Amino acid sequence: MTKPVLIVGGGPAGLSAAHALATAGQDCVLVEKEAVLGGAPILSGYAKLVPSHEWAKDAIGGMVDRVKNNPRVKVMTGAEVQSFDGDAGNFTATMKDGKKVEAGATILATGFTHFDSVNKPEWGFGTYPDVVTTVQVEQMLSSGKGVRCPSDGRVPDRVAILLCVGSRDRQIGREWCSKICCTVSANIAMEIRESLPNTNVYIYYMDIRTFGLYEGDYYWASQEEYKVKYIKARIAEVTSDGKRLLVKGEDTLVKRPISIPFDMVVHAIGMDPNVDNMTLSSVFGVDLNKYGYIDKRSTYAHLAETNRAGVFVAGAATGPETIDDSIAQGQAAAMAALNALHAAHKTAAE
Amino acid sequence: MPIHEKSLIRPENLVTHDDLVIDGVDVSGHWSTFIKGRSVTDYNEAMQDEIAALPGGENIHRCWQCGSCTNACTVNAVNNDFNPRYWIYLIRLGMEEELLRDKDIIWQCVSCNKCTYACPRDVMPEGVMKATAHWLELKGHTPKSPSTIFDEEFTRQIIKTGKIEETRVITRFFRGTGQPLRQNWLEALIVNLVKRFPVFYLMRLGLSVVFRPKTRGWNKARHAINEYVHEVEEANRKALGLGGEGAK
Repeated sequence: MTKPVLIVGGGPAGLSAAHALATAGQDCVLVEKEAVLGGAPILSGYAKLVPSHEWAKDAIGGMVDRVKNNPRVKVMTGAEVQSFDGDAGNFTATMKDGKKVEAGATILATGFTHFDSVNKPEWGFGTYPDVVTTVQVEQMLSSGKGVRCPSDGRVPDRVAILLCVGSRDRQIGREWCSKICCTVSANIAMEIRESLPNTNVYIYYMDIRTFGLYEGDYYWASQEEYKVKYIKARIAEVTSDGKRLLVKGEDTLVKRPISIPFDMVVHAIGMDPNVDNMTLSSVFGVDLNKYGYIDKRSTYAHLAETNRAGVFVAGAATGPETIDDSIAQGQAAAMAALNALHAAHKTAAE
Repeated sequence: MPIHEKSLIRPENLVTHDDLVIDGVDVSGHWSTFIKGRSVTDYNEAMQDEIAALPGGENIHRCWQCGSCTNACTVNAVNNDFNPRYWIYLIRLGMEEELLRDKDIIWQCVSCNKCTYACPRDVMPEGVMKATAHWLELKGHTPKSPSTIFDEEFTRQIIKTGKIEETRVITRFFRGTGQPLRQNWLEALIVNLVKRFPVFYLMRLGLSVVFRPKTRGWNKARHAINEYVHEVEEANRKALGLGGEGAK
């Protein structure tokens, strides 16, 4: 009999890998450092997900229940791997509390960290309470309290969403596109327009990357059905005139500087590599790529593989990723881990 | 501050003072030219809705600024300043002041509809141009264009009698646009008509000029059309926040 698969991280990718392995009859151990499963969508309190429009607590909550109730999955929350030794087919993971877990293979589904907007001080986050992040707006929506200005609780007349906060910016060492923020912002803009029809929403963009089918349901729909306005301008700074926020930049289509009052400014924050990636890299002996994400080998022959045999990776641990694709990658990594286990088992038997 | 590139700045943004002292420093005259700020300081959020409320403007909010309309445009090929893409953007954001700079060329759209077929999002830019010209007129920014004056007389007669009477359309159009009644081409046309037309038709023409007969049973139709026109005009004016009869 093969040893169980160790899955690190209980977000969409880890949950999907655990479910896939258990369904195939493979025992696994799911380790999550937080107290609850669900990953970013649950921990950060996301509202309705793209593209299903299902509430995160229902959609991801369902994945959590499915795994929790599966006798083949052993769930360890509040647990972190301290050291990881051995070879493919025969790993031993030692937890911070000293417990040991034997594993035949492991899947890293360690996710990402939201960009901290304080790193772009010129855009006012941390200085003005009405400058918020997309995550905060998600929480306003999912809590049922609605979108309100944090300073005084008023309904904003005018909301600006700034795209590419913490993405595509060499100045702060983040050269990647975070992939999901355009679509998420269009989704949030529509939610705001739906719940507050008198609130105007403006999206300041460099490019719009609502890729694939999101084009119609998010970019087009936000303009055509919800009259969200898109302005091609990268904002220079967000200040305040004492009453409202002042957004300054250049409207590149009219070649004129702008200095426009807003009630609320939303940063569409990007996806950073997990802040723990350096530690994960040294514990698990996996390489990081130049951006700081866990490095994947070429997809064509080595789907979900890292540089270390028997250690696989899935989801946003490898780079900015959507929830749907993280789930798919979780299943792909499960398949890769199963293959590796069987190969090791066969070699051992001969 | 001396400026050598004044040609790059709009003349209305260049200010010189004949006699001005700031903090004890004399800043009068040409060598102390000031440049006014040109930042956009607010959006007029009503503008897109106003244009969208006029016939033809309904789809303006769909525009994503690809420029297909301007590239396809017949008038743009002759005059670079005729730029539907740009105007649509100004309207969407409510940059009224900027739009008004071009008020004297917006109406030049020839309605060839090449933009309509080029537009990937069905904005129907030709309709937007029509709505914009209409908006400028209703808001009192531009006088009625010659073609509007012609259309109005044409429509007035149709509504009144169910027919048009050419001599009356022409004379009223000339009067409305301040043109002399005697025009070479018109004289030539009349002379040729009289020379070559059968007497019977000439008599009928003459009779209708004098008596202006109505279409039989027209009253009911006239009533219905008047009601409709009134309704539409009222709605347009209301959408633009205008009261009364206004420009018309």
